[in-house]
Amino acid sequence: MDHRPFEDWLLEDKPLNKEERFALQEHLRNCTSCTALSEVNLALRGARVASPAAGFADRFQVRLAAERKARRIRQGVGFTFLALGALGILLWVSWPLLAATAQSPSGVISDLLMYLSRLFLNLRAFGQALSVIWDVLPSFIPSYVWAIIFAAFSGLGLLWVASLRKFTRIPQGA
Amino acid sequence: MIDEQTWVSQAQAGSEEAFTQIVEHFQRPVYNLCYRMLGEPEAAEDASQEVFLRVYRNLWRYNPERPFGTWLMSIAAHYCIDRLRRKKMTLFSMDEEDAIELPDRNAPDPEHEAIRSEQRQRLHRLLQSLDPIDRAALTLRYWNDCSEAEIAETLSLTVSAVKSRLHRARRALGKTWQEQEHQNHAERIAYGSPAI
Repeated sequence: MDHRPFEDWLLEDKPLNKEERFALQEHLRNCTSCTALSEVNLALRGARVASPAAGFADRFQVRLAAERKARRIRQGVGFTFLALGALGILLWVSWPLLAATAQSPSGVISDLLMYLSRLFLNLRAFGQALSVIWDVLPSFIPSYVWAIIFAAFSGLGLLWVASLRKFTRIPQGA
Repeated sequence: MIDEQTWVSQAQAGSEEAFTQIVEHFQRPVYNLCYRMLGEPEAAEDASQEVFLRVYRNLWRYNPERPFGTWLMSIAAHYCIDRLRRKKMTLFSMDEEDAIELPDRNAPDPEHEAIRSEQRQRLHRLLQSLDPIDRAALTLRYWNDCSEAEIAETLSLTVSAVKSRLHRARRALGKTWQEQEHQNHAERIAYGSPAI
Protein backbone atom coordinates (compact mmCIF):
# COMPACT_ATOMS: atom_id res chain seq x y z
CA MET A 1 0.00 0.00 0.00
CA ASP A 2 1.23 3.49 -0.81
CA HIS A 3 1.53 5.47 2.43
CA ARG A 4 2.48 8.74 0.75
CA PRO A 5 1.75 11.49 1.57
CA PHE A 6 -0.14 10.33 4.69
CA GLU A 7 2.84 8.93 6.55
CA ASP A 8 4.75 12.18 5.92
CA TRP A 9 1.81 14.22 7.21
CA LEU A 10 1.72 12.13 10.37
CA LEU A 11 5.49 12.25 10.90
CA GLU A 12 5.73 15.98 10.23
CA ASP A 13 2.71 16.81 12.46
CA LYS A 14 1.53 18.85 9.50
CA PRO A 15 -1.62 20.97 10.07
CA LEU A 16 -4.20 19.59 7.61
CA ASN A 17 -7.02 21.30 5.73
CA LYS A 18 -10.49 19.79 5.39
CA GLU A 19 -9.77 17.81 2.22
CA GLU A 20 -6.47 16.48 3.54
CA ARG A 21 -8.11 15.45 6.81
CA PHE A 22 -10.80 13.60 4.92
CA ALA A 23 -8.22 11.86 2.68
CA LEU A 24 -6.21 10.87 5.75
CA GLN A 25 -9.31 9.43 7.48
CA GLU A 26 -10.07 7.40 4.35
CA HIS A 27 -6.49 6.10 4.27
CA LEU A 28 -6.51 5.24 7.97
CA ARG A 29 -9.60 3.05 7.48
CA ASN A 30 -7.58 0.69 5.30
CA CYS A 31 -3.99 1.13 6.56
CA THR A 32 -3.06 -0.46 9.88
CA SER A 33 0.50 0.90 9.69
CA CYS A 34 -0.58 4.54 9.44
CA THR A 35 -3.34 3.93 11.99
CA ALA A 36 -0.71 2.72 14.44
CA LEU A 37 1.41 5.80 13.70
CA SER A 38 -1.61 8.04 14.23
CA GLU A 39 -2.42 6.31 17.53
CA VAL A 40 1.18 6.73 18.65
CA ASN A 41 0.93 10.43 17.79
CA LEU A 42 -2.25 10.74 19.82
CA ALA A 43 -0.72 8.89 22.75
CA LEU A 44 2.39 11.08 22.60
CA ARG A 45 0.32 14.27 22.53
CA GLY A 46 -1.87 13.09 25.39
CA ALA A 47 1.04 11.90 27.53
CA ARG A 48 1.24 13.27 31.05
CA VAL A 49 4.33 14.86 32.54
CA ALA A 50 5.54 12.67 35.40
CA SER A 51 6.16 14.51 38.68
CA PRO A 52 8.46 13.54 41.51
CA ALA A 53 7.00 12.74 44.93
CA ALA A 54 6.39 15.78 47.15
CA GLY A 55 9.45 17.14 48.99
CA PHE A 56 11.92 16.65 46.14
CA ALA A 57 13.80 19.89 46.93
CA ASP A 58 14.09 18.90 50.62
CA ARG A 59 15.46 15.49 49.66
CA PHE A 60 17.91 17.23 47.37
CA GLN A 61 19.10 19.46 50.22
CA VAL A 62 19.71 16.37 52.36
CA ARG A 63 21.69 14.75 49.54
CA LEU A 64 23.65 17.94 48.93
CA ALA A 65 24.56 18.15 52.62
CA ALA A 66 25.68 14.48 52.58
CA GLU A 67 27.75 15.11 49.47
CA ARG A 68 29.44 18.14 51.06
CA LYS A 69 30.22 16.16 54.21
CA ALA A 70 31.68 13.30 52.17
CA ARG A 71 33.80 15.78 50.20
CA ARG A 72 35.09 17.40 53.41
CA ILE A 73 36.03 13.94 54.76
CA ARG A 74 37.75 13.02 51.49
CA GLN A 75 39.69 16.30 51.53
CA GLY A 76 40.67 15.77 55.20
CA VAL A 77 41.88 12.22 54.54
CA GLY A 78 43.75 13.37 51.42
CA PHE A 79 45.45 16.21 53.32
CA THR A 80 46.48 13.86 56.15
CA PHE A 81 48.02 11.36 53.73
CA LEU A 82 49.81 14.18 51.88
CA ALA A 83 51.20 15.63 55.12
CA LEU A 84 52.33 12.19 56.34
CA GLY A 85 53.96 11.49 52.96
CA ALA A 86 55.77 14.84 52.97
CA LEU A 87 56.97 14.22 56.53
CA GLY A 88 58.23 10.75 55.57
CA ILE A 89 60.14 12.07 52.56
CA LEU A 90 61.63 14.88 54.66
CA LEU A 91 62.81 12.41 57.30
CA TRP A 92 64.21 10.07 54.63
CA VAL A 93 66.14 12.89 52.92
CA SER A 94 67.45 14.47 56.13
CA TRP A 95 68.23 11.19 57.90
CA PRO A 96 72.04 11.25 57.14
CA LEU A 97 72.27 14.83 58.43
CA LEU A 98 70.26 13.99 61.53
CA ALA A 99 72.45 10.95 62.19
CA ALA A 100 75.66 13.00 61.71
CA THR A 101 74.31 15.74 64.01
CA ALA A 102 73.58 13.18 66.67
CA GLN A 103 77.12 11.74 66.41
CA SER A 104 79.13 15.04 66.18
CA PRO A 105 77.12 18.26 66.58
CA SER A 106 80.17 20.61 66.48
CA GLY A 107 81.41 19.20 63.13
CA VAL A 108 77.99 19.65 61.51
CA ILE A 109 77.70 23.22 62.84
CA SER A 110 81.16 24.21 61.52
CA ASP A 111 80.35 22.63 58.10
CA LEU A 112 77.09 24.57 58.01
CA LEU A 113 78.82 27.86 58.85
CA MET A 114 81.43 27.29 56.13
CA TYR A 115 78.71 26.49 53.62
CA LEU A 116 76.78 29.66 54.52
CA SER A 117 79.85 31.87 54.25
CA ARG A 118 80.71 30.37 50.82
CA LEU A 119 77.12 30.93 49.69
CA PHE A 120 77.27 34.57 50.87
CA LEU A 121 80.56 35.22 49.03
CA ASN A 122 79.25 33.60 45.81
CA LEU A 123 76.05 35.63 45.92
CA ARG A 124 78.01 38.86 46.41
CA ALA A 125 80.27 38.05 43.44
CA PHE A 126 77.21 37.23 41.31
CA GLY A 127 75.61 40.56 42.30
CA GLN A 128 78.74 42.48 41.32
CA ALA A 129 78.87 40.71 37.94
CA LEU A 130 75.21 41.55 37.34
CA SER A 131 75.72 45.24 38.18
CA VAL A 132 78.62 45.41 35.68
CA ILE A 133 76.42 43.84 32.97
CA TRP A 134 73.57 46.17 33.86
CA ASP A 135 75.86 49.21 33.43
CA VAL A 136 77.33 48.03 30.12
CA LEU A 137 74.48 46.21 28.35
CA PRO A 138 72.05 49.11 27.56
CA SER A 139 74.64 50.85 25.42
CA PHE A 140 74.97 47.69 23.24
CA ILE A 141 71.23 47.12 22.66
CA PRO A 142 69.37 49.45 20.22
CA SER A 143 66.15 51.09 21.42
CA TYR A 144 63.85 49.12 19.04
CA VAL A 145 65.06 45.84 20.61
CA TRP A 146 64.04 47.21 24.01
CA ALA A 147 60.64 48.06 22.55
CA ILE A 148 60.26 44.50 21.21
CA ILE A 149 61.31 42.99 24.55
CA PHE A 150 58.89 45.25 26.40
CA ALA A 151 56.02 44.39 24.02
CA ALA A 152 56.76 40.66 24.28
CA PHE A 153 56.74 40.72 28.08
CA SER A 154 53.54 42.81 28.11
CA GLY A 155 51.88 40.26 25.81
CA LEU A 156 53.00 37.37 27.99
CA GLY A 157 51.75 39.19 31.07
CA LEU A 158 48.34 39.76 29.49
CA LEU A 159 48.18 36.11 28.42
CA TRP A 160 49.03 35.05 31.95
CA VAL A 161 46.35 37.27 33.47
CA ALA A 162 43.76 36.08 30.91
CA SER A 163 44.54 32.41 31.50
CA LEU A 164 44.40 32.95 35.26
CA ARG A 165 40.95 34.51 34.91
CA LYS A 166 39.76 31.68 32.65
CA PHE A 167 41.06 28.68 34.56
CA THR A 168 40.93 29.71 38.18
CA ARG A 169 37.27 30.65 38.55
CA ILE A 170 36.26 29.02 41.80
CA PRO A 171 32.70 27.63 42.11
CA GLN A 172 30.72 29.96 44.30
CA GLY A 173 28.99 28.56 47.33
CA ALA A 174 30.59 25.13 46.89
CA MET B 1 12.52 34.31 31.76
CA ILE B 2 13.77 37.04 34.10
CA ASP B 3 13.28 35.10 37.36
CA GLU B 4 15.17 32.14 36.05
CA GLN B 5 18.23 34.19 35.07
CA THR B 6 18.10 36.06 38.38
CA TRP B 7 18.08 32.79 40.33
CA VAL B 8 20.96 31.50 38.27
CA SER B 9 23.05 34.65 38.84
CA GLN B 10 22.27 34.56 42.56
CA ALA B 11 23.05 30.84 42.74
CA GLN B 12 26.35 31.45 40.95
CA ALA B 13 27.11 34.07 43.60
CA GLY B 14 26.57 31.39 46.27
CA SER B 15 22.90 31.78 47.21
CA GLU B 16 21.46 28.49 48.49
CA GLU B 17 17.92 29.89 48.34
CA ALA B 18 18.27 30.74 44.67
CA PHE B 19 19.47 27.24 43.90
CA THR B 20 16.52 25.80 45.79
CA GLN B 21 14.26 27.95 43.59
CA ILE B 22 15.96 26.48 40.53
CA VAL B 23 15.38 22.95 41.87
CA GLU B 24 11.73 23.73 42.60
CA HIS B 25 11.24 25.24 39.15
CA PHE B 26 12.93 22.52 37.11
CA GLN B 27 12.25 19.41 39.19
CA ARG B 28 9.25 18.36 37.09
CA PRO B 29 10.78 18.50 33.59
CA VAL B 30 14.03 16.95 34.83
CA TYR B 31 12.22 14.18 36.69
CA ASN B 32 9.93 13.54 33.72
CA LEU B 33 12.89 13.24 31.35
CA CYS B 34 14.67 10.86 33.74
CA TYR B 35 11.48 8.84 34.25
CA ARG B 36 10.82 8.51 30.51
CA MET B 37 14.47 7.65 29.92
CA LEU B 38 15.02 5.19 32.77
CA GLY B 39 11.50 3.81 33.07
CA GLU B 40 11.30 3.50 36.86
CA PRO B 41 10.31 6.07 39.50
CA GLU B 42 13.16 5.16 41.89
CA ALA B 43 15.78 5.38 39.16
CA ALA B 44 14.23 8.65 37.97
CA GLU B 45 14.33 10.15 41.48
CA ASP B 46 17.95 9.13 41.96
CA ALA B 47 18.94 10.39 38.50
CA SER B 48 17.12 13.72 38.97
CA GLN B 49 18.89 14.30 42.30
CA GLU B 50 22.22 13.46 40.69
CA VAL B 51 21.46 15.83 37.80
CA PHE B 52 20.82 18.71 40.21
CA LEU B 53 24.02 17.86 42.10
CA ARG B 54 25.95 18.03 38.83
CA VAL B 55 24.28 21.32 37.98
CA TYR B 56 25.22 22.66 41.43
CA ARG B 57 28.84 21.57 41.03
CA ASN B 58 29.15 22.96 37.51
CA LEU B 59 27.05 26.09 37.84
CA TRP B 60 30.16 28.27 37.51
CA ARG B 61 30.68 26.82 34.02
CA TYR B 62 27.23 27.87 32.83
CA ASN B 63 27.37 30.45 30.05
CA PRO B 64 24.52 32.96 30.57
CA GLU B 65 24.27 33.47 26.81
CA ARG B 66 22.67 30.02 26.53
CA PRO B 67 19.16 29.34 27.85
CA PHE B 68 19.56 27.84 31.32
CA GLY B 69 16.77 25.29 30.79
CA THR B 70 18.47 23.89 27.70
CA TRP B 71 21.80 23.63 29.56
CA LEU B 72 20.17 21.86 32.49
CA MET B 73 18.17 19.47 30.30
CA SER B 74 21.33 18.74 28.35
CA ILE B 75 23.04 17.61 31.57
CA ALA B 76 19.98 15.51 32.44
CA ALA B 77 19.72 13.89 29.00
CA HIS B 78 23.41 13.07 28.76
CA TYR B 79 23.43 11.70 32.31
CA CYS B 80 20.49 9.39 31.54
CA ILE B 81 22.02 8.28 28.22
CA ASP B 82 25.31 7.47 29.98
CA ARG B 83 23.50 5.65 32.74
CA LEU B 84 21.54 3.56 30.25
CA ARG B 85 24.68 2.75 28.29
CA ARG B 86 26.53 1.79 31.47
CA LYS B 87 23.88 -0.41 32.95
CA LYS B 88 22.07 -1.51 29.79
CA MET B 89 18.97 -0.98 31.87
CA THR B 90 16.18 -1.15 29.34
CA LEU B 91 13.74 -3.52 30.97
CA PHE B 92 10.74 -1.88 32.48
CA SER B 93 9.41 -3.19 35.77
CA MET B 94 5.68 -3.84 35.52
CA ASP B 95 5.32 -3.44 39.28
CA GLU B 96 6.15 0.25 39.04
CA GLU B 97 3.63 1.24 36.40
CA ASP B 98 0.82 2.35 38.64
CA ALA B 99 3.07 4.68 40.59
CA ILE B 100 2.58 7.40 37.97
CA GLU B 101 0.15 6.37 35.29
CA LEU B 102 -2.99 5.83 37.36
CA PRO B 103 -6.21 6.79 35.58
CA ASP B 104 -7.95 9.89 36.86
CA ARG B 105 -10.96 8.66 38.85
CA ASN B 106 -12.57 12.08 38.76
CA ALA B 107 -12.53 12.22 34.97
CA PRO B 108 -15.98 12.84 33.41
CA ASP B 109 -15.69 9.69 31.28
CA PRO B 110 -13.99 6.98 33.40
CA GLU B 111 -14.03 4.40 30.59
CA HIS B 112 -12.34 6.77 28.18
CA GLU B 113 -9.88 7.81 30.87
CA ALA B 114 -9.08 4.14 31.56
CA ILE B 115 -8.32 3.59 27.86
CA ARG B 116 -6.15 6.71 27.79
CA SER B 117 -4.33 5.53 30.87
CA GLU B 118 -3.74 2.12 29.31
CA GLN B 119 -2.40 3.82 26.17
CA ARG B 120 -0.07 5.96 28.27
CA GLN B 121 1.28 2.89 30.04
CA ARG B 122 1.69 1.12 26.75
CA LEU B 123 3.53 4.08 25.26
CA HIS B 124 5.77 4.26 28.33
CA ARG B 125 6.67 0.58 27.92
CA LEU B 126 7.31 1.02 24.21
CA LEU B 127 9.58 3.99 24.87
CA GLN B 128 11.94 1.71 26.76
CA SER B 129 12.59 -0.27 23.58
CA LEU B 130 14.01 2.77 21.75
CA ASP B 131 17.63 3.82 21.43
CA PRO B 132 18.48 6.16 24.39
CA ILE B 133 19.14 9.20 22.21
CA ASP B 134 15.92 8.67 20.21
CA ARG B 135 14.08 8.28 23.51
CA ALA B 136 15.56 11.53 24.82
CA ALA B 137 14.65 13.36 21.60
CA LEU B 138 11.07 12.09 21.73
CA THR B 139 10.68 12.93 25.42
CA LEU B 140 12.01 16.45 24.92
CA ARG B 141 9.72 16.95 21.92
CA TYR B 142 6.45 15.65 23.33
CA TRP B 143 6.72 15.98 27.10
CA ASN B 144 8.92 19.05 27.38
CA ASP B 145 7.58 20.85 24.27
CA CYS B 146 11.08 21.57 23.00
CA SER B 147 11.59 22.72 19.43
CA GLU B 148 13.84 20.72 17.12
CA ALA B 149 16.54 23.39 17.50
CA GLU B 150 16.35 23.16 21.29
CA ILE B 151 16.55 19.35 21.16
CA ALA B 152 19.55 19.63 18.84
CA GLU B 153 21.29 21.94 21.32
CA THR B 154 20.36 19.76 24.29
CA LEU B 155 21.57 16.51 22.72
CA SER B 156 24.51 18.02 20.81
CA LEU B 157 23.05 17.00 17.45
CA THR B 158 22.22 18.83 14.23
CA VAL B 159 18.60 19.82 13.57
CA SER B 160 18.41 17.41 10.62
CA ALA B 161 19.72 14.59 12.83
CA VAL B 162 17.02 15.40 15.38
CA LYS B 163 14.33 15.33 12.67
CA SER B 164 15.57 12.03 11.38
CA ARG B 165 15.75 10.54 14.89
CA LEU B 166 12.22 11.73 15.70
CA HIS B 167 10.88 10.18 12.49
CA ARG B 168 12.76 6.95 13.07
CA ALA B 169 11.62 6.73 16.70
CA ARG B 170 7.96 7.30 15.82
CA ARG B 171 8.11 4.82 12.96
CA ALA B 172 9.60 2.25 15.34
CA LEU B 173 6.93 3.00 17.94
CA GLY B 174 4.20 2.74 15.29
CA LYS B 175 5.55 -0.60 14.09
CA THR B 176 5.67 -2.08 17.61
CA TRP B 177 2.25 -0.58 18.35
CA GLN B 178 0.85 -2.27 15.25
CA GLU B 179 2.47 -5.61 16.14
CA GLN B 180 0.95 -5.44 19.62
CA GLU B 181 -2.45 -4.66 18.12
CA HIS B 182 -2.16 -7.78 15.97
CA GLN B 183 -1.10 -9.82 18.99
CA ASN B 184 -3.96 -8.52 21.16
CA HIS B 185 -6.41 -9.13 18.33
CA ALA B 186 -5.18 -12.72 17.96
CA GLU B 187 -5.46 -13.28 21.73
CA ARG B 188 -9.01 -11.91 21.83
CA ILE B 189 -10.04 -14.25 19.01
CA ALA B 190 -8.34 -17.22 20.70
CA TYR B 191 -10.16 -16.57 24.02
CA GLY B 192 -13.41 -15.60 22.29
CA SER B 193 -13.52 -12.26 24.07
CA PRO B 194 -16.57 -10.15 23.23
CA ALA B 195 -14.45 -7.00 23.45
CA ILE B 196 -13.69 -7.00 19.72
